[in-house]
Amino acid sequence: MATDGELIQRAATGDQNAFEDLYRRYARSVFGLALRRLGDRGRAEDAVQETFASIWRSASSYRPERGPGAPWVYAVARNAIVDRARARSETPAEVPEEPSSEAGPPDRAEQSWVAWRVHRALEELPEREREVIALAYWSGLSQSEVAEFLGVPLGTVKTRTRSALAHLADLLGEELA
Amino acid sequence: MTDFRDLVDVEDLDPDEEQRLRRVHELLLQAGPPAELPPALTTPGALPSSEVVPFPVKRRPVTALLIAAAVAAAAFGGGYLAGHAKSSGPAEFASARRVQMHPPHAGTALAVLRVASPDSGGNWPMEMTVRGLPEQTQRASYYELWLTRNGKPAAPCGSFRVHGAATTVRLSVPYPLKRFDGWVVTVQTPSGREPGPVVLTT
Repeated sequence: MATDGELIQRAATGDQNAFEDLYRRYARSVFGLALRRLGDRGRAEDAVQETFASIWRSASSYRPERGPGAPWVYAVARNAIVDRARARSETPAEVPEEPSSEAGPPDRAEQSWVAWRVHRALEELPEREREVIALAYWSGLSQSEVAEFLGVPLGTVKTRTRSALAHLADLLGEELA
Repeated sequence: MTDFRDLVDVEDLDPDEEQRLRRVHELLLQAGPPAELPPALTTPGALPSSEVVPFPVKRRPVTALLIAAAVAAAAFGGGYLAGHAKSSGPAEFASARRVQMHPPHAGTALAVLRVASPDSGGNWPMEMTVRGLPEQTQRASYYELWLTRNGKPAAPCGSFRVHGAATTVRLSVPYPLKRFDGWVVTVQTPSGREPGPVVLTT
């Protein structure tokens, strides 16, 4: 399987298949990132379009010696999303009188990067492992309910969950350090 | 919050492996659910030779006001995109459950409904492939998928029209599926009641 960096380099030469592979790998992660930052599905869709238009236009600026492809795609996406957020803010935001309890920009950036990496890693899992993680973590179902939903024994759900976590651990090596 | 010990039997894990899996568990909680890609973004569309990449669907503000039209457009657009995706490498639909539908009495029609995991907003993406239903005889006729309670249509899931031997559409519903006991497809005509006669059921 081609690396992200190889796909970007091939897209830079006009290889549409490479671009479509990149799109399949990253569209969902870019959409998720945009949705979290912009809070609006329509604007997030626009940001996805702008991100991939930018990738197509600027793929030749990618330098593999400076690092792998994922951070490069993340940076392009982040810029497209920030541009879209700026375009929206027609009036200056009011200055809050009290310090906000929300995460500051560095923390938010770190959280966004972690979410980006985790969601990309999830897409690498076999479907039956990915579905059990999604159901276990984000559907509100108990493991027994997940088993009932999938029509498999509880032990199978536990086995798949453990296997999925182990796969994710392999894929997220740097984040675990 | 999801507890690690509810998910994994830790008794037979060595401490290093348990720590490694726990760290992944924490990262999953920190990351939150991934977004479900809207049908309009399923594929990047055809690339032109120019530098600007056009995408197949551009939102129009008016559709936000026309909810019924938007539902139909999503169904048709999803089917269109799904159909097109097959010719250039389909985007995978990550189904978590597969349900077969058949005629309530005799007949050769068949549908397969695939339900994906819900997104963070509680929307359940679904992909339905229908085979053998007759094409609509009137321009304003269509089929409609419903969730059922006690076997009766209770919540609409989207409308679609069929063309050719098989039609695939993507739909999304916000209802908690646990509150329902199945699905049916009804046929709707401009002058008919809603829900109309059931042509497929689970």
